[in-house]
Amino acid sequence: MEKVIGIDLGTTNSCVAIVENGVPTVIPNRGGYKTTPSMVAVTEAGKRLVGHIAKRQAITNAENTVYAAKRLIGRKWNSPQVKNAVATSSYRIVQGPHADVRIVLREKEYGVPEISAMVLQEMKLIAEDYLGEGVTKAVITVPAYFNDNQRQATKDAGEIAGLDVIRIINEPTSAALSYGFGKNVEKTIAVYDFGGGTFDISILEIGSSAVFKVIATAGDTFLGGEDVDARVIDWLVQGFKEEHGIDLRQDRMALQRLKDAAEKAKCELSSVRETEVNLPFIISSGRNEALHLQRTIDRKTLEELSADLIERTVDICKQTLADAHLEKEDIEEVVLVGGMTRMPKIQQAVADFFEREPCKGVHPDESVALGAAIQGSALTDDKQEMVLLDVTPHALGIMTQGGYFEELIPQNTTVPTHRTKIFTTSRENQTAVKIVVMQGESERAEENELLGEFILTGLRRAPKGTVEIEVTFEINADGIVSVHAKDLETGKEQSIEVTASSGLTRDEIKDMLEGAKDYMVERRSTEEFESAKQEAERIVGEIERLFPQVEQIVAASDFGRDAIEKARAIVTKARAAIAKRDVTAVKAEIEGLSRTHRMFKGVVAKTH
Amino acid sequence: MPDDPPKKPSAGPAESGADENDRPTVNPPFDVEAFARLASGPQRRFSTEAPTQPPPPGHPAVELQQVREQQITVTNEVELEAARVASTLRSQPPPAPPSALSMADARAPSSPTVPAVVPPGRSITPTSIEAAVLGAIGSSAGPEITERTIDDPLAEMRERFSLGDYTGALEMSELILAEEPGNLEAAECGENCRSVLEQMYAARLGPLERVPLVVVPRTQMRWLSMDHRAGFILSLIDGSSSVELILDVCGMPKLDALRILQELVQQKIVAFR
Repeated sequence: MEKVIGIDLGTTNSCVAIVENGVPTVIPNRGGYKTTPSMVAVTEAGKRLVGHIAKRQAITNAENTVYAAKRLIGRKWNSPQVKNAVATSSYRIVQGPHADVRIVLREKEYGVPEISAMVLQEMKLIAEDYLGEGVTKAVITVPAYFNDNQRQATKDAGEIAGLDVIRIINEPTSAALSYGFGKNVEKTIAVYDFGGGTFDISILEIGSSAVFKVIATAGDTFLGGEDVDARVIDWLVQGFKEEHGIDLRQDRMALQRLKDAAEKAKCELSSVRETEVNLPFIISSGRNEALHLQRTIDRKTLEELSADLIERTVDICKQTLADAHLEKEDIEEVVLVGGMTRMPKIQQAVADFFEREPCKGVHPDESVALGAAIQGSALTDDKQEMVLLDVTPHALGIMTQGGYFEELIPQNTTVPTHRTKIFTTSRENQTAVKIVVMQGESERAEENELLGEFILTGLRRAPKGTVEIEVTFEINADGIVSVHAKDLETGKEQSIEVTASSGLTRDEIKDMLEGAKDYMVERRSTEEFESAKQEAERIVGEIERLFPQVEQIVAASDFGRDAIEKARAIVTKARAAIAKRDVTAVKAEIEGLSRTHRMFKGVVAKTH
Repeated sequence: MPDDPPKKPSAGPAESGADENDRPTVNPPFDVEAFARLASGPQRRFSTEAPTQPPPPGHPAVELQQVREQQITVTNEVELEAARVASTLRSQPPPAPPSALSMADARAPSSPTVPAVVPPGRSITPTSIEAAVLGAIGSSAGPEITERTIDDPLAEMRERFSLGDYTGALEMSELILAEEPGNLEAAECGENCRSVLEQMYAARLGPLERVPLVVVPRTQMRWLSMDHRAGFILSLIDGSSSVELILDVCGMPKLDALRILQELVQQKIVAFR
């Protein structure tokens, strides 16, 4: 059975998991970390960096480091979120050819799905290294509020990364899956997800036969652990300024170190009451004197610095419960997701609000990826029975006269579904009607997302309000939205199938896929060469170390001299192969080098 | 990012090591001390040109060298120190014309009024060399020695490059380019210098795949002598990142990063596995 990986493609960090022998497991990356920063950078030398490496240079190479691409994926150029990102991002965001968003790194334009694909490719590699075999199938998670375009863009990113995305599932659903795995629970739960860059609260129903249903979801896409880090940085910068009169923000290297130290201190304060931030040689003063930053921060200070941020999350929880017409008492369990929920103050705030201790049975960083892996396994294993009932993240409807939005399918409706509504003409003798299909919650149509439009013609000439048009919305299990409009009198009908778009054309996706494949071939080849080179150089070093001793022992005979000459020739050939970066030749030379090394060791051993 | 602070004029062991590394030049094929004495002579005008070949027999420098060798049996540490001071003082250039390109020379840090050190209670009968030296000291109210002026920066750059003083040539090329950004010769020379220096520092560091480690205990780190750029590089050394990776992520020009890393290794702050 083909392995399916579950990927939590996060705003700040991503995680990959798999179900092995029935046990869901998170796969650590090469550095041993179970999460990988969702960051991509291109260095001055044109080298692509993904993950921790990209994060470590995010401030010193800010113009060429992409973070939080998830906030842009599948969005239109003129959306408010994109405008906000253009104004606040350190990297350059430009308009794409299809009113989509492109990111410029070292003068090259990348589609947002292409950037996310680089992160997904990294996660794929992590899984492949761990499993020792190729992986192609994946389940990827997205926030519950993602619209169809954003979901499609995530799918496209998977395709560019060389993955067959067999399902896109909602993050809270995934966390709930992880929570409910192996338990026979029927509960209404709240998933409080406070990650690095976003906050989400979702209410789910876990029904009998492992049916998961998202009842409500809300959040803030610009509220996360990074905001807390920023507060700690401000505190450190202010303290340093008071002491030395120097603003550390003016120096990128200092700021990079501060960012790393602030995040580290924040994490440490979840388990200890105080910690020291020690950054020697943080900056040089005008008197050419290196200055050090050394400050102790305690948990209370961190809590004070982040109090309003925590309060904001509680306000969103309150609003979400109200929107879902639920009381706190209706929530039977609160599941904490996201690294920030390790902070004791947050756990306390959640417990205070929901009036119950949150469940600590799921790993905050891993549960979403684990849930995706569980779903992936269920989809490929016929023996497992699991039904995920996902809901429409946003309401669907049409634009009516006056620029209003008429809702047909409400937000959070379980899919598949269909709804029908009768409309009438709005003008005298109207013979055609334009059906504008939209998605969103605003009463004003212009504030919602346009999905598509079509015109139903051939209507009977009649006074306004007398011709009846039946409009039907249908969403199938794959999330495809179809809209039909029918003149009830004549039976004439017209329809549209709304296909979500990531903003990339098929040709562009194909080209990006080819580019990604080439990159992988090059990367694998470089890794292969580096590995062979290291091995060859190690043996060459050993041989050279033994040369004087062996020469002394065998140089007296012709045979010995000949052997020495041959050994030298092998070393020279190996060096030449390394210099030419010829991986096949280097690998071929390793055998000869190993033989020579064994012989040398034998000669030395016999004479001692 | 603020400009790099100028190097400290006084040099501790680490600093002096760093200076040497900044000037990875082969020892000149002539006697520096003799040349300095010659330069300090009343008839000799200062020139930035250093001989590139040993002077021929009969050349004043050789004659001076012979004199010096003859005096070696009677020369003591005091005399040598005095000679060093004199040569330092005398080898400073005359005041420059106002139009000349000026360059602060951090490697000429000594004070213009440093007296020769003579242990108290000891009388010295001056030899002819000593007399010359002492005379030189006496009349050493020379120009400001922390400033050096160069009439022809391009010639200076070429000269330094030909002498293998790539750091100096690079500095000159950068100065020229600051004044004249379109100067192709300076740009090319600068590029060549960078390339040579990068190779040199990389060669000193060894294979770039190696993983450096900080060997100085964290508690003692603040007592080290280094600047914030070295501090930043040090912060990137985590025991798992290779030199190559550090160069990629540090965000500094490769040459600067290599030089700093090499200095950290030389100062035994950083070692390899």
